Amino acid sequence: MKREEIRQRLKDVQSLPTLPPIVSKLNQMVSDEDVTAVKLGRIIEKDQVLTSKLLKMVNSSFFGFPQRISTVSNAIVLLGFNVIKTLIVTSSIFEVMQASDIGLFEHSLGCATAAGLVAKKLGIKNPEEVSTAGLIHDLGKIVLRAEMPEEYDQVAETARQAKQYMREVEKEILGIGHGEIGGILARQWNLPERLVFPIEYHHRPEASPDFAEVSAIIHFSDILIRALGFGFGGDPWVPPLDHQAWARIKLGKSQMRQLLEELDEKLMELQDFTLDIQKDGKDSS
Amino acid sequence: MARIALVTPDHFKRADEKLCLEARGHTVVTNADVARSLEGILADPPDLLIIQKGLHRHMDQEVILALKNNLQLALLPILLMVSERDLAVGLDWSCYPVDDLISEHATIEEIITRIDLALARTRRVADNNPLTKLPGNSSILKTIQNMLEQAEPRAVAYVDIDNFKPYNDRYGFSRGDEVIRMVSRILVNVIQEHAGAGGFIGHIGGDDFVFMVPLEKAETVCQEVLTNFNALIPLFLDEKDLEAGCFVSTDRQGNVRSFPLTSLSIAVVPCHPGHYSHYGEVASTAASLKKKVKALEGSNFLVDRRKPDID
Repeated sequence: MKREEIRQRLKDVQSLPTLPPIVSKLNQMVSDEDVTAVKLGRIIEKDQVLTSKLLKMVNSSFFGFPQRISTVSNAIVLLGFNVIKTLIVTSSIFEVMQASDIGLFEHSLGCATAAGLVAKKLGIKNPEEVSTAGLIHDLGKIVLRAEMPEEYDQVAETARQAKQYMREVEKEILGIGHGEIGGILARQWNLPERLVFPIEYHHRPEASPDFAEVSAIIHFSDILIRALGFGFGGDPWVPPLDHQAWARIKLGKSQMRQLLEELDEKLMELQDFTLDIQKDGKDSS
Repeated sequence: MARIALVTPDHFKRADEKLCLEARGHTVVTNADVARSLEGILADPPDLLIIQKGLHRHMDQEVILALKNNLQLALLPILLMVSERDLAVGLDWSCYPVDDLISEHATIEEIITRIDLALARTRRVADNNPLTKLPGNSSILKTIQNMLEQAEPRAVAYVDIDNFKPYNDRYGFSRGDEVIRMVSRILVNVIQEHAGAGGFIGHIGGDDFVFMVPLEKAETVCQEVLTNFNALIPLFLDEKDLEAGCFVSTDRQGNVRSFPLTSLSIAVVPCHPGHYSHYGEVASTAASLKKKVKALEGSNFLVDRRKPDID
């Protein structure tokens, strides 16, 4: 019953709030005369909410590219500076930012980075698209946090006390997990299936009806980034890796070593960025 | 009739106005959250917008300017709702490029009349292409003719999609429309960025477009349009055709034919003051140049290099 109720409530979700420091940084940028759409894109592609808004807009019926555009750089070429600027000035923010919001932001960004690197290692044609899937894979958690805060707190509290995974508690209490919630919203927003499936199936990648390789990469990257302790994915433990999904990716020992070295370097850069964002947040508050 | 968006958080709170508008056959779009309703306007533009002056964080100005600077939405009528104090103090119309205003104390009859007038005015001036919302042939003629009489050197460029017919035959019209929309969005955004108000884009029809920019910007604009087109076109093609590198189809006689994949050609005619006196002359120079550029493989642009003979 609860599950149906949540599906109904999702129908009204038009947009989601994001972190105040990101929005204030972008707002500062748009008032600079030399800023370009591409420069704004480099910040937008680090935030899962703004990225999904941008993709929602470009895949909407007005712009007329249904389920076709899956990366920020392509969306920017089609939307143009004025639309992106308006998207920024009208974006809403979390009135009260919690520590877990920053944690999830870092987790998503880390997962995007790892997924992009894995995609490149596997020679996948469009690694930016895989990276986007990594960035927005936990969209469902933002929906719970923003639209159903009471349920979200209840899930987090139960998970902590019973020492269970968040997604298991979500299923027990809500009858639906964050993967499926994110998938429903992504589909409702007309995002391409190559993004919808990895969002929906990142905890059970082998059930993915299509784009199983991308789902497997996101599943693996999600776990890898938790294991490295970058950001906060919502659970204090690292969930188990799906063997079939791993068999699909199967990086060799030397490839894996290389991946970890590259990832380490990128995560250091990201750490600088996320610290900056948190510092800006404190300055402006 | 028309879809009317209301972003008037402090007015129209009574159901009466909404009911009256709906009784006239209009659809009223409204949202209590101002940021969300403004976002909705961009994602799915209405036929008319009523916006209240003085929204939080200057969102009213930002949105009005963004809509009016958007080459595809510039004709969307915007009515600004103002207070008596605004009228007494006066308004800076360069910050508020709106089509009309409504006083916050206006009667419902007046509001409805102003809405009808604004919609009628838009219908009168619009020859926009329904698919891309870009100006059509009579606006193109007027704008280019007007430019020929100015003193600045301009470039008039003709854009068309190569092998568009085989694309349509293979994927159907609705996907063909997507490619046309894609090209129009690329043109709008690149020209807006490099030429701003000094640029113009028209949709001649089908897969033919024309644009005009200051002459010194022409090559950069063409280059960037082609780069963006080449980055996006693979998303509009099926994996199989991308791998084959061409379209393979059977013609009416049953012969197997192959066509190169969809690309873009641009023919650029530099217009120095006094060189051309009529739009028709520009178009005929473009026509012969277009043949040359279309004969080249892939996406290209060519600039007419004949020296203008200025007496």
